[in-house]
Amino acid sequence: MRGIEEAAKHIAAQGESRARLARDPVNQAMVNNWVEALGDGNPAYTDPEFARGSVHGGLVAPPAMAQVWTMNGLHGTRADDDPLGAMMSVLDEAGYTSVVATDSEQTYHRYLRHGEHVAASTRLEGVVGPKRTALGEGWFVTTRTTWSVAGEPVAEMMFRVLKFRPAGEPAPAPDPAAVLRPVISRDTEFFWAGTRVGELRIQRWGGGTLRHPPGPVAPNGDLAAKPDHVVANGTGTVYSYVVHHHPKVPGKRPPFVVALVELDEGVRMLGELLDAGPEDVYIGLPVEVSFVRVDDELTLPAWKVRS
Amino acid sequence: MTLPGKAAIAGIGATEFSKDSGRSELRLAAEAVSAALADAGLKPSDVDGLVTFTMDGNAEIAVARELGIPELSFFSRVHYGGGAAAATVQQAAMAVATGVADVVVAYRAFNERSGHRFGQVSGAAAQQVNTSGVDNAFHYPMGLATPAATVAMVAQRYLHTYGATSEDFGRVAVVDREHAATNPNAWFFGQPITLAEHQASRWVAEPLHLLDCCQESDGGVALVVTSTERARDLPRPPAVIAAAAQGSGPDQYIMTSYYRDDLAALPEMGVVGGQLWRQAGITQADVDVAVLYDHFTPYVLMQLEELGFCGRGEAKDFVRDGALGLDGALPLNPHGGQLGEAYIHGMNGIAEAVRQIRGSAVNQVGGVRHVLVTAGTGVPTSGLVLAAS
Amino acid sequence: MNAGVGTELPQLSIEITPTFVVSTAIATRDFQDVHHDRDAAVARGSKDIFVNILTDTGLVQRFVTDWAGPEALIRSIRIRLGVPCYAYDTLTFTGRVTGRDGADADIAVTGTGGLGDHVSGTVRVTLPGGPA
Repeated sequence: MRGIEEAAKHIAAQGESRARLARDPVNQAMVNNWVEALGDGNPAYTDPEFARGSVHGGLVAPPAMAQVWTMNGLHGTRADDDPLGAMMSVLDEAGYTSVVATDSEQTYHRYLRHGEHVAASTRLEGVVGPKRTALGEGWFVTTRTTWSVAGEPVAEMMFRVLKFRPAGEPAPAPDPAAVLRPVISRDTEFFWAGTRVGELRIQRWGGGTLRHPPGPVAPNGDLAAKPDHVVANGTGTVYSYVVHHHPKVPGKRPPFVVALVELDEGVRMLGELLDAGPEDVYIGLPVEVSFVRVDDELTLPAWKVRS
Repeated sequence: MTLPGKAAIAGIGATEFSKDSGRSELRLAAEAVSAALADAGLKPSDVDGLVTFTMDGNAEIAVARELGIPELSFFSRVHYGGGAAAATVQQAAMAVATGVADVVVAYRAFNERSGHRFGQVSGAAAQQVNTSGVDNAFHYPMGLATPAATVAMVAQRYLHTYGATSEDFGRVAVVDREHAATNPNAWFFGQPITLAEHQASRWVAEPLHLLDCCQESDGGVALVVTSTERARDLPRPPAVIAAAAQGSGPDQYIMTSYYRDDLAALPEMGVVGGQLWRQAGITQADVDVAVLYDHFTPYVLMQLEELGFCGRGEAKDFVRDGALGLDGALPLNPHGGQLGEAYIHGMNGIAEAVRQIRGSAVNQVGGVRHVLVTAGTGVPTSGLVLAAS
Repeated sequence: MNAGVGTELPQLSIEITPTFVVSTAIATRDFQDVHHDRDAAVARGSKDIFVNILTDTGLVQRFVTDWAGPEALIRSIRIRLGVPCYAYDTLTFTGRVTGRDGADADIAVTGTGGLGDHVSGTVRVTLPGGPA
């Protein structure tokens, strides 16, 4: 882990990569392919007459295509000073072999016109981890890319990917048909949406008051208040627990431990304690969240002993 | 208008208690109500009100049809499982005290052992489409899915907080079974247990052993409520409803009130207790017999604390020196409770309270003036004080 | 055009056919196999091929300009990905105006599929008729 952080520091210190020119200048053919595929009927991209009379004064490329122009393509290779490529290699070597994009923030200084040849340069902004996610343990890698035409910046992007280690020997997935599925309401939907993406979400009111289980009204009774949520750190201690023996519970193999955990944020939450036997569990045992994926729709929060 | 003293239980009736009744729940309800009316010296045509649990499978109109009760002017149901038991009598008493009805029968009948067993995991409970289903989403899928397990979570914290032991829970079971052993109507008639047997019984949900958990039973119980004045003219000595109360506490859930500051407590029973003492005008010292809801032993200890028979965390000491025996300071569940007699969702305990007031119980305590009865614990609940006329 | 804070944008639903997933991936020059090769996607632990992030950015843009019109100027698009959007899903975009600053408007957009929120984010757009 120290190695990853040091490598990240080193790569970030190298700053921006050399500007890399797009394969093709901005052109109508690629724009046409793009608007056809996405079903975008905006005439500013395809109708010269309309475009001339519009605010654009002529045909423009969809701003969201900014990144498309400088993609490496089918047989393309990364530039040797590409910081994202370098960071991916470091994480590959550390066993974090899978990747998924999580965030993108693009800012467009102006629209691009046909014939303009954009170039991209990228720097590593940050590497954060390791984090437990629904996909497995991983690192969030953030880069910043600037696109320019003849030295003039035209667009920028913050791009974040999760580089993760696919859960190696995951606990056998529970039989989805057997699990007692939760009833989900409008008030609790965010919690289950969170577990699906590896976040333990706690409802928050008035910017401060946390509440679990969640509900539709602020604890102070303010009907005008709207809740948001915080993502729990995922650590806490066992407040109480049960070792279940009889009768059979669908989807569980007895004996199993269910723990009521007091999270560091101050709320209590129930979950199965996955890796502690009846003899190992005690009130005060430090635990951390783990996510048990049942199927596409349902991921259950559970606990593991904190090492 | 106040409730205390206005109404009385004039008749009690029950089926046999078994593990397989061999007949429908409606038949059990009809038999229990019929027996209660006969005990009260009344006819079906005298009845104008029926009350039961929302969990009961027998609609009031179905019971009325079977028994030939021609008209009903009052019918009501109470929610929250066994927490409804004493509240059905409260509903009946309120109807009588306000003149809404003259004779109201409260009943509960089920094939809880041979039919739908509450001790098993209920997918239907987990997936009900209402706020309780949404509440259940935070424990059923995680594997906390049986009544015993939900109680065990609180019991574990109670042991930790107050230094009690599994043997302290066991003492409750031993007392219940001792009383059931001399009650011919009890399932465990003639079968007392020792503390060692309790300790040796298999785990259900640690820290609960099998013998910390009540039975599952088939059967029915009915109670006839009418005005105290009318009851005095009927054959049986009235068991006057000196107090009747319901209670739910802060941040209340059904069996999983785990998010309160103090997990090792039953504040909803405290809400009930406060009302009972005020209404009846008595104190704990005036209680001659306590029929405390005993689906799981830990909640008997915690009820003793909530109701003020001892201090917080002191129930383990209170039960250690024989206080709960028939000759003790607070005779508990002389019929054997739900661990010993039968699990009829608390209604058989109310019938026992009536017998203790009448002086007709098989394990009769001497000189009984006031009997305290409580309903299901861990849920919004209820309680009664019955008094001799 | 009514574009005050709170204005809801007309919903947009898109059938995510395999053809859609593949053609948008290629049109955005993203040749990662998980966007066009079902066997490869399954081998990597996915249920099916799924929509790539460049397409998400494009769809969010289209959703806003479908409403704001071709004279609107997109200033920025920030998105965050949630659950995957696999082939054979239906992706439904909803949005509302959450802020106004002169001719500029901030639009909160959510794209929801059968598994839940697939993409959520904010678009800043300069609306026609105001100072550019």
